[in-house]
Amino acid sequence: MTQGVNTIGGAAPPLDRDAQLMLRVRDGDEHSFGVLLEKHRNPVIHFVFRMVQDRAVAEELSQEVFLRVYRSRESYEPTAKFTTWLFRIATHLALNSLRDGRYEKALQRLDAPRPAEKDGELPAREVSDKAPSMEQRMVYETRLQEVRDAIGLLPEKQRAAVLMHKYQEMEYSQIASVLECSESAVKSLLFRAYETLRARLAHMITGAAK
Amino acid sequence: MTCPLLDKSAHNELLLDYASGRLNNPASAIRKARLERHMEECPACAAFRIEQTAVWEALDLWKPAPVSLEFNRRLWQRIEAAAQPWYNSLAESLRMANWKPMVSLTAAILVIAAGFMFDHSAARTGEHPGFSNMTIREADQVEQTLDDIDLLHQLDAVMLPAAANSKPM
Repeated sequence: MTQGVNTIGGAAPPLDRDAQLMLRVRDGDEHSFGVLLEKHRNPVIHFVFRMVQDRAVAEELSQEVFLRVYRSRESYEPTAKFTTWLFRIATHLALNSLRDGRYEKALQRLDAPRPAEKDGELPAREVSDKAPSMEQRMVYETRLQEVRDAIGLLPEKQRAAVLMHKYQEMEYSQIASVLECSESAVKSLLFRAYETLRARLAHMITGAAK
Repeated sequence: MTCPLLDKSAHNELLLDYASGRLNNPASAIRKARLERHMEECPACAAFRIEQTAVWEALDLWKPAPVSLEFNRRLWQRIEAAAQPWYNSLAESLRMANWKPMVSLTAAILVIAAGFMFDHSAARTGEHPGFSNMTIREADQVEQTLDDIDLLHQLDAVMLPAAANSKPM
């Protein structure tokens, strides 16, 4: 079943390591699924968390992502990069959740002030090795809140594109595959999203530029 | 302070890539150097780069939440549950179900059903009030008819020998 894995000199491009592992999962190797889970668990959860902005919901949706991957193992064909497939499932579930409105509360809370630790952000001490003063902490929390709000208020597809571009460091072509649109459409989404972010975070930008 | 190149998507892409550090590789060295030369002479593109870099750095503030330690265990449990045949899952669900409320519910349903049936049977007997009376009347008629037949038999018994004796030889 894994004869395609070692295709090096043939016409087909060699499979990425994750696709090879997934083919082993298809053949009944659960250990390989464990390896994939360890490797991609955090990126998927973090991506979904930034999409829905709720930690519990993000973990629940991420469970569903990996469960779907496992259930689809028998029909898995490595036609695209494994991460493209994985993030397509994650994006699909996150967008559905947002559209269902089940998790609207999380986004509605964007307007309300809240401490940075809520929903699981790392506390301010993670930013600096030194313990921050109360003032530094408050400044950090305010800025973090502004960033969250600015991203949370982006249209869903723009948000997904920015998160994949910024935090997953994906190429335009891969984001296009995940969002099932053209590469030029992705670039357009990103230009508009960053334009909005530059406007919304202008006060922080002015401070940074000085 | 505008630059005609900012209207071109290829130039915007280059600025985004520059601000996000995606030109920091040998393959992009020429493009990066060309853009830097342009920005030295173009305040609009230089301002764009500063703003975009600041946004990029601001987004770094948002560190992800730590993942629950239970995540893997819960996932494997769900995978194992999904791998079981349906009848095992059903049996497991039944075993895990809390039956106390089910008993109360069943008892309540039985009481309601019994009440309904009692009420319904009472209504059915009341639905045809003449039915019982008619049956009694019919029984009286039958009894009367039987009495009449019996009387006729007795009459025949008396009348037939008398008629035989009076017949001429």
